[in-house]
Amino acid sequence: MAFQNRNRFCYFKENGITEIDYKDVKLLRRFVNDQGKIIPRRVTGSSAKMHRKLVRAIKRSRSIALMPYVERGLE
Amino acid sequence: MSFYETLYIVDPNLENNALEKIMDEIGKELAKTKSKIINHRIWGKKRLAYQIDRQKYGSYIILQFEGGGNQDKMNEYDIWMRLNNSILRHITVLLKQKPELYVEDNNAGFKDSEESTNQDAAENKEVQTSDSESEKEKDSNTKEENIESKEDE
Repeated sequence: MAFQNRNRFCYFKENGITEIDYKDVKLLRRFVNDQGKIIPRRVTGSSAKMHRKLVRAIKRSRSIALMPYVERGLE
Repeated sequence: MSFYETLYIVDPNLENNALEKIMDEIGKELAKTKSKIINHRIWGKKRLAYQIDRQKYGSYIILQFEGGGNQDKMNEYDIWMRLNNSILRHITVLLKQKPELYVEDNNAGFKDSEESTNQDAAENKEVQTSDSESEKEKDSNTKEENIESKEDE
């Protein structure tokens, strides 16, 4: 089955992260695709609570130009 | 009392003296709100994710303070920051806990104290709980290295 190998666990729960800082670009980059879009929760497997915090952090990060609103991605 | 953090971007072409002058001005403006400044430091020159006022780079400055409890004054401060031409962009957020005093000798570099502790905890846990995963990661890393070395050859 194709789905069996898929990693579906909450990254934040696994690593004991409870708060997400909007300045931590290295972490936030893992949760956007090459176009700069936020990857949905059904793909990343993160918990609803942490996903809300993640989204807030990414949006803050965008507003202060640490992360892009749009990126061209692969051509 | 609540604690806040303002992160703002200043023109990267300014000299250090001019930068300090601006930081001083902002400190004075914030003093009007009766807030106590905890940290006020340069985070570093970074590449902006998108151009602001045709600038590709910006000097990021972090200002952490304890709120004075006067909302009107804080609004005035926010408006002043917005009208200030030397500031490209700014954001003020509420902090969950009291920020620790930043010591420049810290090896953590530009990272925040709270941030680094978080990451440390995360790393420790990773080692303890998910050995298999880390092995996988190692494998993938070595593979990548191999590929890179081949390309080099």
